[in-house]
Amino acid sequence: MVLMLSVERLVKRRGSREILTDVTFRAAPGRVTGLLGPNGAGKSSTLRILLGLDRADAGTALVDGQPYRRLRQPLRTVGSMLEGSGAHRSRTARNHLTWMARSNGIPIRRVAEVLDQVGLGAAGGTRVGRFSLGMCQRLGLAAALLGEPRALVLDEPVNGLDPEGIRWIRGLLRGHADAGGTVLLSSHLMREVDEIADDLVVVAHGRVVAAGPIREVTAGYPTLEDAFFALTGPTAGGR
Amino acid sequence: MTFFDTVAAEIRKTATLPAAIVALAVTVLGPVAITLINAVGVRAALRSGRPELTAYTSPVEAVFSAVPIGTVGAVVLGVVAVGGEYTTNSARIGGGRQITTTLTATPDRLGVLAAKAVTVVLLVAVAALVVIPASLALAGGIVGTDAPPAPEGVLSRSVGAGIYWLLTALIALAVTVFTRNGIVPIIVLVVNSALVSVSVLLSHLTPLARFLPDLAGMSMFAGDLLAFDDALAPVTGGLVMATWTAGLLALASAVFLRRDA
Repeated sequence: MVLMLSVERLVKRRGSREILTDVTFRAAPGRVTGLLGPNGAGKSSTLRILLGLDRADAGTALVDGQPYRRLRQPLRTVGSMLEGSGAHRSRTARNHLTWMARSNGIPIRRVAEVLDQVGLGAAGGTRVGRFSLGMCQRLGLAAALLGEPRALVLDEPVNGLDPEGIRWIRGLLRGHADAGGTVLLSSHLMREVDEIADDLVVVAHGRVVAAGPIREVTAGYPTLEDAFFALTGPTAGGR
Repeated sequence: MTFFDTVAAEIRKTATLPAAIVALAVTVLGPVAITLINAVGVRAALRSGRPELTAYTSPVEAVFSAVPIGTVGAVVLGVVAVGGEYTTNSARIGGGRQITTTLTATPDRLGVLAAKAVTVVLLVAVAALVVIPASLALAGGIVGTDAPPAPEGVLSRSVGAGIYWLLTALIALAVTVFTRNGIVPIIVLVVNSALVSVSVLLSHLTPLARFLPDLAGMSMFAGDLLAFDDALAPVTGGLVMATWTAGLLALASAVFLRRDA
């Protein structure tokens, strides 16, 4: 039932620029791991490689010891949300989730269940192009939850959510981890990560500058924010 | 996850995309409408005793000269099956593209592309099976007893027209994999198939133009309608077009496999 996400010495180049350098960390079951870093630090690139969307130039990213691309019915193992809803704008939310379910042999009743779970029960027949940013984030979460996966990989999940939504997702992710699931989320919002995460991976300029339980990473700093700027700032040397 | 699941998902995905429904409607209704107009013209010419007013007097030709409008529908269907994956949502709703969902749901990229090809082939084949017989019946009914005896090879030309649509849709699909955007292939391929054929223009310069996919393929159904002297024989033309299609799909697969999503 436990599922580990492990990233080992990832290197990714775009043209001549190295955007990830030796990125290594783990996201353990039963814990919420926060990938924290400023915009452009390489958080999304790391998650895209983990999900098999982009190729690494070196290193490995594994789900339970195997590459994502080798998973059968991956939506039942890892639920993910990247930029936005991931839905075509002229399709309805229900149609989007239905083709997803069909592709992984997930019972179609799950579509209505996850729409209700994320608070979009009444908006299933609305085209995604008419959604608000917050509704799109909720649809992205519904898609991640569709296959009742053991691991959740979420890129900036609180982006666009109202305070009530943020509180709701915090409860959702906590519940998932407490039930033994693995949660890996990225964010550039320190306060959110501080309140949600058990473990922290701080990245800057494509490198991991600190990793470990949140208390260890922030030890010696008054707040996470102080730790963050000390670790990721121009004079940071990592630790 | 089986290939069957991937195909079922792709069919559902395509059938719930408004642009694909419009494309199918064009494939079905377009040829019927043009056939209607053509056939009424033929009937008028025949009844007035001046058949030289039209390029042909056979209701069958009224149908086959309406094939290009169906090609437009097939092109659009092939393009949107892939282009829809790369449509970028506005920043207002968080951006993002469907391709990330598609490839996280089905990381087997060759499977995804094959399922798209199967979907497009199925939809176009169903459209062709409906629209070509319906158009032939319509034209025959309109021109009626004034029509000259039916020319030979109507069945093989009908099949040829259907195959032409299928292969054109697959070429459109492959080209859109390269461009990752539907707009350019739609404009180029629709203009080429419905308005000005670049290949027909080139055929005035070199006889090699008959080996270009569209001109080669047209020999499957066009008969004497092809305004071109050394057209290939129908079967040869079909094989040449099929070879182009297979080559482009192979190239598209190689690109789709290697590229970051």
